[in-house]
Amino acid sequence: MSRMKVFALAMMLIAGAQSVSAQDAKTSISAQVRVRYIVGDIPVAVDFYTNKLGFKLDGQAGPYFAALSRDGVQLLLSPSKGPGGASQPMPNGERPAPGGGWNRIVLDTPDLQGDVDKLRKEGVRFRNDVIVGLGGNQVLLDDPFGNVIELFQPTEAYQTREAPRADQK
Amino acid sequence: MTAHMVSVRHMVDDVEEAVAFYTKLLDFEVLTSFAAFADVARGNLRLLLSGPASSAGRPMPDGAEPGPGGWNRIHLMVDDIEAEVARLRGRGVKFRNDIVTGPGGSQILAEDPSGNVVELFQPAR
Repeated sequence: MSRMKVFALAMMLIAGAQSVSAQDAKTSISAQVRVRYIVGDIPVAVDFYTNKLGFKLDGQAGPYFAALSRDGVQLLLSPSKGPGGASQPMPNGERPAPGGGWNRIVLDTPDLQGDVDKLRKEGVRFRNDVIVGLGGNQVLLDDPFGNVIELFQPTEAYQTREAPRADQK
Repeated sequence: MTAHMVSVRHMVDDVEEAVAFYTKLLDFEVLTSFAAFADVARGNLRLLLSGPASSAGRPMPDGAEPGPGGWNRIHLMVDDIEAEVARLRGRGVKFRNDIVTGPGGSQILAEDPSGNVVELFQPAR
């Protein structure tokens, strides 16, 4: 089997898994939440997200694509160049690139400072120190390609405010 | 709302304008809405819309200021990507590219009013 066929097969398997979760949803809106990050190197990114941040690898197409999950979010990783649709340049020639933005997935943690201490020891780069916001404390870390991830610990007051709202749904 | 709610944060220039975009064009519902911050939901996705005056809008220690843009994005599945693109173009939504077909399906990149990218994706059949 050619490399491209292997790639297409891996992509279809992952897409197949996606349609199963879509069927489970009560509406046409897919139950599975997905976010795509552009990275410089798929194996390096997979190593970072699995070994540093506790993601589980759902599927990988060699250097061209990977899907990983944690806490209900599936993170799709695509390189700047490759056969995948997300790796193609824009009509004006501009190529998708990692980093350069501030939009991010938010990963909840019950021990923000503990996570920060542990990850700093492992050499993970942070953009800032823990900041205290209205709903909780947050910090921004970078993956090896400068993509930002937020670690968030909700305040107790915020959790109390959330509870009745969830019950009403 | 379920226990599996996933949060994604977008930096936006104008919270009210962003709320209008995500609710009127992409079927999100408003959870909370303030001048500096709002959150909207679509299925299990909770999208946090943080304006320049929100706590997430504060500058980094090196002075870097959070703002919209970049290539990382939420990924919304659609049943008929061509119809969806036609509908959104008709409402004035800007796209970065045309529909691209890859091994896994077809995709296109829409932009919100602040220039944040939103991917629409239809899996290969």
